Amino acid sequence: MKIIIIGAGEVGFHIAQRLSEENQDVVLIEKDPNKIREVQNVIDVQAILGSGTNPSVLNEAGIKESDMLVAATDSDEANLIACFFAQYLTDYITKIARVKNPDYMKYKEIFNQDFFNIDLIINPQSEMVASMLRLMEVPEASEVIDFVDGRIKLIGITIKDNSPLVGRKLSSFDDFEHVILVGVIVRGEKIIIPSGQDTIQPNDLIYCVIHKENIPNIFRLMNVREEGLGRIIIVGGGETGLALATSLDASNINTKIIEKDGQRCLELAEKLEKVVVLNGDATDREFLLEENISDVDIMVVITGDDENNVLISLLGKALGAKKTVTRIGKLSYIPLVSAIGIDTVVSPRLSAIRTILQYIRKGKVICVAPLKGEGAEAIEFEALETSDIVNIPLSEVKFPKETIVGAIVRGEEVIIPRGQNIIQPHDHLIIFALKGAIPKLEKLFTVKLEYF
Amino acid sequence: MRFRQIFRLIGILNFFLGLSMLAPLTISLIYSDGSFLSLLYSIIITSGSGIVLFFLIKKADYPTLSQREAMAIVTLSWLSAGFFGSLPFLFSGSIGNITDAYFESISGFTTTGASILGNIESLPKGILFWRSLTQWMGGMGIIVLSIAILPFLGVGGMQLYKAEIPSPVVDKLQPRISETAKTLWKVYLFITLLEIGLLFLGRMPLFDSICHAFCTMPTGGFSTQNGSIAQFNSAYFEGVITVFMILAGINFSLHFKFLKGDFKVFGRDPECRVFISILVILIILVTFNIYGPIYHSISHAFRRAAFQVTSIITTTGFVTANYAQWPALSQIILLLCMFIGAMAGSTGGAIKIMRIILLVKHGYQEIFRLIHPHAVRPIKLGGKPVPEEVLNSIWGFFILYLGLFIVAVIIMSAMGMDIITSFASVAATIGNVGPGFGLVGPVENYLAVPALGKWVLIFCMILGRLEIYTVIIMLAPAYWRK
Repeated sequence: MKIIIIGAGEVGFHIAQRLSEENQDVVLIEKDPNKIREVQNVIDVQAILGSGTNPSVLNEAGIKESDMLVAATDSDEANLIACFFAQYLTDYITKIARVKNPDYMKYKEIFNQDFFNIDLIINPQSEMVASMLRLMEVPEASEVIDFVDGRIKLIGITIKDNSPLVGRKLSSFDDFEHVILVGVIVRGEKIIIPSGQDTIQPNDLIYCVIHKENIPNIFRLMNVREEGLGRIIIVGGGETGLALATSLDASNINTKIIEKDGQRCLELAEKLEKVVVLNGDATDREFLLEENISDVDIMVVITGDDENNVLISLLGKALGAKKTVTRIGKLSYIPLVSAIGIDTVVSPRLSAIRTILQYIRKGKVICVAPLKGEGAEAIEFEALETSDIVNIPLSEVKFPKETIVGAIVRGEEVIIPRGQNIIQPHDHLIIFALKGAIPKLEKLFTVKLEYF
Repeated sequence: MRFRQIFRLIGILNFFLGLSMLAPLTISLIYSDGSFLSLLYSIIITSGSGIVLFFLIKKADYPTLSQREAMAIVTLSWLSAGFFGSLPFLFSGSIGNITDAYFESISGFTTTGASILGNIESLPKGILFWRSLTQWMGGMGIIVLSIAILPFLGVGGMQLYKAEIPSPVVDKLQPRISETAKTLWKVYLFITLLEIGLLFLGRMPLFDSICHAFCTMPTGGFSTQNGSIAQFNSAYFEGVITVFMILAGINFSLHFKFLKGDFKVFGRDPECRVFISILVILIILVTFNIYGPIYHSISHAFRRAAFQVTSIITTTGFVTANYAQWPALSQIILLLCMFIGAMAGSTGGAIKIMRIILLVKHGYQEIFRLIHPHAVRPIKLGGKPVPEEVLNSIWGFFILYLGLFIVAVIIMSAMGMDIITSFASVAATIGNVGPGFGLVGPVENYLAVPALGKWVLIFCMILGRLEIYTVIIMLAPAYWRK
């Protein structure tokens, strides 16, 4: 597949990197010659210097032979214009555009019409708000991703020192066996697809697939007390903060939002009903104490400044906030922050990358969730009748190394697989895989051609 | 610097280099020329050493190559290809000592075409074929070839590609580097086959057609005949070879675009226009210069001038006339051609047209600035401004080229070579041309150069082929610091 990506910013760069590692033909268009040089040193793509909004540059990039255009610059206008010209130049190309401005999002439907004909609009901010709301449904988890329309959840849990799981081999999990399967263990910067012989250690982040109904059981088994959400503090009253506060406004959760800028506070207060708008600096210890930070269940830190976000979260934790959700834009920071005690990270760029990858893999793959930066993925596949994997026991399917089947979903039923389970056609499989194993995995699920 | 990783990759390259000797092995079987065993031993040693390196050295955890490592791999693999490539010459007894064999082998891979052999026709056919094959592989590049056939090089491939490709700017023809390398090799192979066909149609024996095409397309210049192309005394062959020398001197990405249906690409490319203009002007000058005193008919003069000027400026080095006897103007023109070279991204050597154009434009810009001190005027090529750093690297290249040239000339003259020979031998090797003037002139060879001088020239050939930076950087102390 030939894919043109516009913009070598963090989003464009990471998508290009992922796709080129998966042996797709990627052409990257970027205005900044310095970035072009950087890209060419690091990833195997064709980098073209120029503006993606310039139709002749699009032609030079070979848009007529391309299958997909991903407009991922930081400018909404540039992304839309690029899609507009792409539509003019060729009818067949799939177009994905990243659009941030909430004012544009209100008129989202016009982008899907003939004028632009954009196949997918990505709004990282609304993705991020959605993932934060999902997290609030399961506040004990550090990450929650929906599969099969939300009936199955992939949750990431950080193992505490006092957890009964610590030091146990995975193969000894009798009482868990029918409920969860640990698919991925993240230990520091290492990502492990575990076997029965692996043991769980304190501070591991484990990912497992679980039926929605079983969530309370799990936390009971793990000795994590489940508490309802009572109080939330949001730090940062930007667009994301406002969107999140608006969704919480309707609920019974006691929500406060802190914003530095007085003028902006007025705007927030106009739009919000129950949410308390506070004008102040969240780096101020006295101010946080005054607002009873120690009673807060979740502190959501989503200002535009990564470094500040990390420090405010640490301060909040030190002052007694039970859990923090921190917005981090720079992807290179993400593997580091869990080591210093940040619970949960949300990233607009990661959200955008996640959505784009999911769309690109569409077809054989139903849902993709990159885990922990991008080292591993949880992928939902549908087992087709013609593929090699159906109607034989799981233990005989030749899965690539470093993959593990996390769950089999058959209709309403969720099966935590063991070796003797047999995959039936139209089962959905949720598979954990390290990055390197993904192309092989995709091959396994491809339909064999049938000759008559 | 991870030497393990470097030597492991060189091991892989050695393995394939050994396999490439299967071609001359087949030839020696067909002609039963007695070189079979020497080639077989060479294959066993070359591929064997590759297997040993590959399996003895553990794989590095982090496969991506840094630019430094890529440069080391490229330089070392060229040195090693030179060594293993010399084995067939040594084992078959065609060349008696290691210095001469290494010289011949490096001259082959770097597509210089400078030979130490006097009686070429006496060599076994298998060895002759290997000599041509080294040129053909070296022309588009052994590293580029491995990138094309070894898919796992990936990103590191780009670093390696940059270190080997003879051009100040690197453009990818395809989204992926392995595809780019494959495309270049396909174009190269296609044009080579075309030339073999045309030579064969003109009744050149098939073996000679293949060998000569293998030495034209990389702008190499080894011949199977003692008297080079002159021996055939055929206007048709000279015409065909002249045309293909010009094609080999053109940037291969233009050929690719042409074959894809963009027929005006040669006329549109500014470097190509300058290249053809220089070629035409110099041919006309030399034709009129040699018409009269040397050749009595204008057509004869034109035939010699066209072939010789093309051969030298594209740094091929085929010979149809003893140009050392031509008038001074023609000799000077040919000597300058050794410095100019062909287009960037072609298989030719020397400084290259693109650098010359940009140097001239830069010079003119300074004059323009004196007249209009406030003018904003970026240097453009084909309507696009050229980045400052490309200009800087070209100036650096130019200074290093001349500097190394001067150092090598001083060493050569210190060994007792005369002025013309010192000058010409270095110019002809650093420019990957082949024949020079004086003792290394068109009807002479390099056998007479003292051993140390041969090693200096070997170094010059590698410097020229890898465009100096890749090689010279390994001599910089800062390169080795952690």
